[in-house]
Formats: sequence, structure tokens, C-alpha cells
Amino acid sequence: MSDIQLSHIDHAYGGQTVLRDFTHTFAGGKITCILGPSGCGKTTVLRLIAGLEAPGNGSIVVNDERVTENGKILVPAYKRRTGFIFQDLALWPHFTVYQNVAFGLNEHHAKNVGQKVKDMLDLFNLSNEQKKYPHQLSGGQKQMVAIARSLVLRPQALLMDEPLANIDIQVKSRILEHLLSIHQADPFTIIYVTHDHKEALDIGNSIVVMNQGNIIASGNSEEIIHSQHIFLKSFIKT
Amino acid sequence: MGRAINKYVIHNLLTLVLLLLLLVPVLMVLVQWLLNAGKINAISFLDRGALLLIVNSLLLSATVALLATLIGTACGFFLYKTHLKGRRLYLLLLIVPILISPYIFAVAWKDLLFLLFGSTASAFSTAGVIAVHTLIYFPLALLITGNALTNISSSLEEAGLMVTSFRKMIFKIVLPLIRPAFMSSFLLILVFSLGDFSVPAFFGIKTFTVEIFTQFSAFYNYDAAITKSLLLVGVCLILLLSEARYLSGAAFFSISTRGSNSKIYEMSGIGYVHHTSFAILIILSMLMPVFILLYQSLSGREIVIDSAWKLLKPAVFQSIKLAFWGALLISIIGLYAGYWQERLKSPFTNVLLLILFILPSTILGIAFIRFYNQPETGFIYSSLFIVLLGYIGKYGFIASRITGNGIRQIPVSLEEAAEVSGVRPVNKFIKILLPLLSPSLFVSFVLTFVLCLGELGTTIMVYPPGTELMPVKIFTISANAPQALTSSMALISLLITFFFIILFFMAGRVMFKKNSDE
Repeated sequence: MSDIQLSHIDHAYGGQTVLRDFTHTFAGGKITCILGPSGCGKTTVLRLIAGLEAPGNGSIVVNDERVTENGKILVPAYKRRTGFIFQDLALWPHFTVYQNVAFGLNEHHAKNVGQKVKDMLDLFNLSNEQKKYPHQLSGGQKQMVAIARSLVLRPQALLMDEPLANIDIQVKSRILEHLLSIHQADPFTIIYVTHDHKEALDIGNSIVVMNQGNIIASGNSEEIIHSQHIFLKSFIKT
Repeated sequence: MGRAINKYVIHNLLTLVLLLLLLVPVLMVLVQWLLNAGKINAISFLDRGALLLIVNSLLLSATVALLATLIGTACGFFLYKTHLKGRRLYLLLLIVPILISPYIFAVAWKDLLFLLFGSTASAFSTAGVIAVHTLIYFPLALLITGNALTNISSSLEEAGLMVTSFRKMIFKIVLPLIRPAFMSSFLLILVFSLGDFSVPAFFGIKTFTVEIFTQFSAFYNYDAAITKSLLLVGVCLILLLSEARYLSGAAFFSISTRGSNSKIYEMSGIGYVHHTSFAILIILSMLMPVFILLYQSLSGREIVIDSAWKLLKPAVFQSIKLAFWGALLISIIGLYAGYWQERLKSPFTNVLLLILFILPSTILGIAFIRFYNQPETGFIYSSLFIVLLGYIGKYGFIASRITGNGIRQIPVSLEEAAEVSGVRPVNKFIKILLPLLSPSLFVSFVLTFVLCLGELGTTIMVYPPGTELMPVKIFTISANAPQALTSSMALISLLITFFFIILFFMAGRVMFKKNSDE
């Protein structure tokens, strides 16, 4: 499982800088949580890795391949073998659960699409819901479909942008447990964006803390908890 | 409790007045026809020729609807979903044709065909009707589909881009998501084209609407006209029934800009293709008609602008006066219908206006003449009020939706905050809702004013004797006057419309800039 490397990334929206000389290597096969307050640039990091945007400067390497360099997208999003779970889940409302999960496989001309979708729906206990449309599902089921839709493509990296922000704590821990057990059985890289430090400390093998477009600390849970950085201490306290 | 009852009484009373004045005439025509159907042998009017004519009219209008919707959707995508330079200016210039009366375009295009081919033979005339209708109606598709495109959450498109190419994502995610808007746009344009009488009449093309007008106005064969009208109403209602739910809530002219959560694409490298395409469209839909009318007006042996102005002058002032009162009345009715639809979830007035909106203008005209040309209602028939009723019937729904959409964007909590602070309902309405709604009301007034100024289909049937109105004057004079005179009158009419569009545009900028500064 290869690392994801971001080197000297600068990025701005309408003249406002969101990332400044951002450099970090996300370890392959591990769960890295990006933690930070709203507007610190954590979602932008995910979007740049996914290929949904091109950075103003710097380069990104995904799966040993240079995917962007100096403002140019060299490999488009759909060829990067990464999955993205959006904050609003982005389930296509005109597709059923089955069609949402199968769409990517069909676009990649995969073989045995039916079987692969069935296996994935079984894994997430969604077999009985496959003919339903997104609006007919509960909040937890929608999260499951979004994760299943990404994992069915066997991505090298799963990028998760606060996907569990708006659901109750019981459903949230059930989904996380399920995701972690799948990850344990067949490790892949997960980059998980959150502003909830407890969640980050619970699930991350390593944690990257960001503020104002820069990394201010990184390491495992212990290192983060015992960091003497003033911002980090106040952020974790709150 | 008492206040709630009062509200419903007032609402029902006003709706009842609108129902009596506008829809009852149409229903009366239907009832009279049903009672007399046996006596007049109605089926005899629906012979093979009539059915063939409606099929041909449907084919012509379907071609227009398809072309206009495809062009409008493509324009909508590039203007609402990309960073194309000058997109605001393009949008402004492209939607102008929808504000200009179709007959002006018809005169210009007829002139062009004459200049190019030396005749306006039937083959060119059919092409002319299709071209004019497509150029007039594609901005409607642009606005409807553009609005739908901006309402797609960016993450839905980005989720598609994670698994497939941009082109496939557009065809498999974006287009299916805007299908309701695409279908509504297609059907609405189909019905508009089917119901328009002015353009085919100018080109001398016999469509079903022209046939109804001829039967009614030239042959005084009321039974044939009404039988055929009812067939046309049936076709329009069937076509729009499936989309009525979407249409009744459609925004049409949304004064908001593109949605904040809408995905915007960079179009690097091929920008010149888009700029060229937009330039061609603007030339065809805006500049060419002006140029041709100008050329025809000035290239004759004598300059006819002066005599055209003398002939048109009384009609101009009367048209402006009537359009002003029409727009004012329509905006008030639109506010009333929009408020009840959005805030009190009572759709009756809105549905009533929707039914009138989709009726072809000639049919509305026939219904009004039959109903109001009676001893008891003759005072309406002989006054300009009947023209105002025609305007309300044609454009009340547009005002209702513009205002309704504006109301929808104002949080209910702002009104509730006033309520819990003890503000009286009247003051809540005047001091909270109206100021916030002023941009929508302004757009509603401006749009309906310009549309009333150029309305021909209903006006030509109902205008009282001694009244001179601009579109009617140009249409009636075109049959016998030299082409240069008709072109000059159309040019004057176009310039007056442009004058008001620019005037209102500048007034809007001053008014709402002031608001935003505050």
C-alpha cells in the first residue's frame, strides 16, 4: 500500500490563501485523521488528493504516480483509485441503492458487477434496501450506502470529509466499528477529516492538526495529547 | 380564530373575483359549446383537414420546442456552470428577446427572407416561423434549465467525477437530474409556440391558431372557431398536465444569482468556441432584427420613419399607459397569489392563473368576447378594462411565480419575529415583507410591463373600438401598407421597448444598490 505525498502545496480561493507550503506524507494502509477548526483547509487537502481541484503550486503523488504538478491535473479524479465520502454523502437521488453502488463499477467496465454489488450490500446489511431510492433510507443507511459505493471500487485510499457529522452517536459508533473491521481485514489508506478531537484520537493511527492552512502538529494520539503547542492545547480542551 | 376566518374570507373573495372575471368566461364557452354540440354538429368542424392542421402545427411547435430547449440548456450550462468571461453580459443580452413581442421579430425575419431570396415563399416561411420561435423562446429554456443546474449540489457532480469522466458525468448525472426542468421547458415552449398567432400570421403560415383567428375574425364562424379552440385547449392541457406540479412552483425569472453550492467548471482552452457561439446567437436574436428593420426603414426611395411615427404616435402613448396599469394590477395580483401559495399553502389562485397562462391567447380573446359582449357586461366589453383582463390572464402567473419565489427566499422567522414582538399583521406586511420583497416586485412589474407593451394575441381580439394600441396598429397596417412602413413601425416599437428595458435596468441598479449600501 503506497503513501500519499503532498509537497509544498499552495492553494487559494478567490485570492484568499487556504493552504501555505503544505507538505505531508500520509502513510499507506493507515488511518490518518486531519483535525482542525472550520476553515483551516482540511477539506481542501482531501479535494486536492481526490483530484477535484488542482493546487496553485506544488505536487501530489498518489499510488507512486505524480497526479498533479504546479497547477495542472495530470491524472483525473476517476483514475486515481481513491474514494471520497462527502459530508452530505452525495447519493445520486435518481439512482436506487443498487444503481448508486454499481455506477462506478459499470463506468470502469468491471466484470461480475452484480456479484460485487451484492457482496458489498451484504457486507453493509443493505441487501433489503437495494431497490430503494436515497430519500427512502434512514440517515445511518445513507451513510452505509455512501461508504459501500466507494469501497466497491476497491480504492487504494478512502477520503472521508466529516461523513458522520450529522448523525446520532449510537449510529455513528456502529458505522465506525463496521468501517474499522473492514479496514482491519483488508487495510487501505483512510484520511478522515473531522473537527471532533475525541473522534480523531479514537480512530486515527496518526493525527494531523491544522490551523490557518498549515500543519501545526502531527503524530499518534499520545504525542498529540501531550503536545505543548498553545493552539493545540486550547483546541483539545474545547 | 376570528382573524383566521377573516383571512380566508378575504382570500376566497379575491379569488372569487378573479375566477368570475377570468375563468368563468372560458368555462362558459365550454358549457355553451357542450349544450349546442348536437345542434351545430360540432364534429363536422373537426374534419380530416382540421386534424391534419393540428398535427402539422404540433410538428412545427415540437421542432421549435426541441431546438429552443437544446440551445437554451447548452447556453444555461455555459452561463451558469462555468467561469466563462463576460457571462453576465451574455446572459443579459440573450434574455432580451423574450421581452420583445414576437411580431417584431416576425417583421424583421420576413424582411430578411425577402432580401435573401426575393420572396417569402412557403418553404422559407415555415423555416422563418421555426427560426423566430426558436430565437424567442430559447431564453426561457435557458432560464429554466439554468436555474435547475445551479440547484444541483456540487457534491453530486463531484461524486460522479470520482468514478467517471466529465462528459459521462454530464450525461449520466447532471442531465437526468435536470430532466424535470428540461421537460417543463420543452412542454412550455411547445404550448407557447402552438398558441402563438402573431408569427405564423405575419409569415402567412396557416397554423391551428391562425385558423381559429381566421374563422372567428374573418368568417365570423363562431361555432367552428370555438370547436377548434376547445380542441387546442384540450391538447395544451394534456401536454402540460404531467408537468403542472413542477410548473406551478417554477421560478422562471429568479432574481437570485447562481447557487452557492453549485459546481463551477473552468473552460480553459476552448473559450473562443463559446464566445463565437454566443456572439452568433446574440447577432441572430438581437442585433440582426434591429439591423434589418433599420435597413428596411432607411433604404427605400423615401424615408418613412417620420410617417411611421405619425401613424404610431397615438398608439404608443395609449400602449404605455395601459401597460403601466396592467403591470401594476398584475404585480398586485401576483403578490397576492404568491403569498397565499408560499406562506399559507393555498394554491387556488396560483392554479387559476396557471390555467389561464397555458391557454392560447386567441382562445382567451374569444372567451372574453363571448362573455363580455352581453347587455349585462357590455360596460367591460366597451372599456379598456377588457384589455387589462387579457393582460392579467396572460401574465398573472408569471408575476405570481416571481413574487412567490421571492417570498420563498425570505425566512418565515423574520415575519414570526415581528409577530412575537406584537407588530400588527398589516405593519408586518408593509414594514417587514414588502421591503424585503421589493426586488422581486420590481422584476415582476418590469417584466409584465414589457410583455403587456407587446401583447398582440388577446389584445387584437378584445380591444374596444376607438382604441389604438401599438402591436395591433402594426399588425393591422401590415396587410396593406408598404413593407418599409411596417418595418419602420416595428423598429419604433422595438426602440421603445429597448428604452424601457434600459430605463428599468438603470432604475433597478440605482434602487437596489442603495438597498445593499444600507
